[in-house]
Amino acid sequence: MDKTLRKKPWKAVLLYLFVFVLCIVILYPYFVMFTTAAKSRNEMYALDMTILPKEWKWSNFTRIWTDAPVLKYFINSLIIAFGSTALAILCGIPAAYALARMRFRAKGFFLGAVIMSQMFAPVVLLVGIYRLMTDMGLVDNIVALILLNAAFNQAFAIWLLRGTFVSISPDMEQAAKIDGCGTVGAMIRVLLPMAAPGIVTTLIFVFINAWNEYTMALTLISTDILKPITVGINVFYGYNMIQWQSLFATSLFATVPVIILFLCIEKHLAAGLTSGGVKG
Amino acid sequence: MKKNSTQTGRTLQKHSAFKKTEPYIWMLPSIILMAVFIVIPVFTVFRVALSEVSRAGVIKDFNNFDNFMQIFKDSDFHKTLWNTLVWTVSVVGLSTLAGFVIAMVLNVKFPGRKIVRAIVVFPWATSLIIQSVIWKYIIDPNYGSLNVILRKLGIISEKVNWTGSAEAFFTWECWIGIFVTVPFVTFCVLSGLQSIDGELYEAADIDGASFWQQLIHITLPLLKPSLTVSTVLNIIYVFNSFPIVWTISQGDPGDQTHTLATFLYKLQFRYGRGGQAAAVSVVGFVILCVLAGVYMVMTLRAEKEEQ
Repeated sequence: MDKTLRKKPWKAVLLYLFVFVLCIVILYPYFVMFTTAAKSRNEMYALDMTILPKEWKWSNFTRIWTDAPVLKYFINSLIIAFGSTALAILCGIPAAYALARMRFRAKGFFLGAVIMSQMFAPVVLLVGIYRLMTDMGLVDNIVALILLNAAFNQAFAIWLLRGTFVSISPDMEQAAKIDGCGTVGAMIRVLLPMAAPGIVTTLIFVFINAWNEYTMALTLISTDILKPITVGINVFYGYNMIQWQSLFATSLFATVPVIILFLCIEKHLAAGLTSGGVKG
Repeated sequence: MKKNSTQTGRTLQKHSAFKKTEPYIWMLPSIILMAVFIVIPVFTVFRVALSEVSRAGVIKDFNNFDNFMQIFKDSDFHKTLWNTLVWTVSVVGLSTLAGFVIAMVLNVKFPGRKIVRAIVVFPWATSLIIQSVIWKYIIDPNYGSLNVILRKLGIISEKVNWTGSAEAFFTWECWIGIFVTVPFVTFCVLSGLQSIDGELYEAADIDGASFWQQLIHITLPLLKPSLTVSTVLNIIYVFNSFPIVWTISQGDPGDQTHTLATFLYKLQFRYGRGGQAAAVSVVGFVILCVLAGVYMVMTLRAEKEEQ
């Protein structure tokens, strides 16, 4: 424990009070999501509402899979997230390698352009994206979302990967090149294994971004069974009433795995985001 | 002999030409991906913004900035611009402040710190749309969870209508924005704090520097890079954010709670006014470009002063 905390117990009390309130506030929406998901349909709009369900309806968590094409939504989300992660990494690794290891005139320009590209969020470009996808015949097609998510995550992928590559000394690669490895061989055999933690962080980060993406999927996909989960949950918005219990039960399934993945990379991610861009 | 030397000259030349183009070959896949799916739509947006567009979406001739004239005449657009300013400044400002304080607390070693750190990650990892839907349910005036809890706790006796006016809606939207943005700031600041050498504080303690003196003279200057990254990225993301406002109010009542992102979405996909939607996008780019320009001038000036 921290020294000052042991010397001044009132400080420890204040700290725990602060942390306690913080956790309550953050966990509150998750608590609501969980308890509401387990309420029965009648309770949802009852006059004497309770905080916890009067009767825990665990069947809500199984019913969603048969009531709506939720499984299909999940599979679509998985395809989109895996596809765009693979594409983003395959394009991002060579680009990050060039920006970390090679000297060339336009390097500064490209680093700037990568950061600038962040300014154009999908939603502001929707008018252009929609027209492009119409021209390519990819409206209402999952492939469109794979390509777009990969493109819009390029900047972060390059940023994170370049930060990782820069932090690894090029000496080992030089040695491998002297031993007869080509540039590509040295990168694959020497650099990439050493950069594995950074690469995994990038993979997971892109995966989560693609999994959680909403705006482009909402705009481009209209066929129900092609929707990813973020858009698919709208199925529980009825004309007269929203089936909150099903909506939240589905949301829980969509949220928990992602939080677990995120917890695995949290430490690397913040460090990578702040150092990757700053180091020259 | 002579022939031989020109040959090596040529291969050398070839070699150096390859050296020059090599980095671009490495970056080619990435460049293609970003050029096709980001740069082309940017150009399309500009073209559409400057043209007459039929309701069916056919782009016709240049129309003398008519789309821009139309939106600048629209009082809803004025409200939207103002909202976007309030939204960006309040969400980025308050979440930076809150994230900074939380990071300072989480930087203290105490039992249970790991669990708290894990909990703080939650809003960052959760889809914005799911966050927004939960909050929509929480603040619902009829059956929302906030009224139920506050009544059970005896804090209020009657149901409160949390979303009685456009301002109330918008305030909630800002709150949700802050709620989901704080974790990112917290972790940026935390990673910055952990890279600060502890000996600096020990030396300051010996010199008798107070907590506030240490904060202003050691912590803040050394955190500047982390805070800059998180603030710049947050300004861009919050400025362009769509799902929160769209889920909570869709810009209603009376189109009074829009930010630029939801306003242009509604123009395009509800009202079929593609030209004006593109014009709103362009206005958004221009504002962000001006901000980027100001930022660059400021950093250049700061660098000069340091020299």
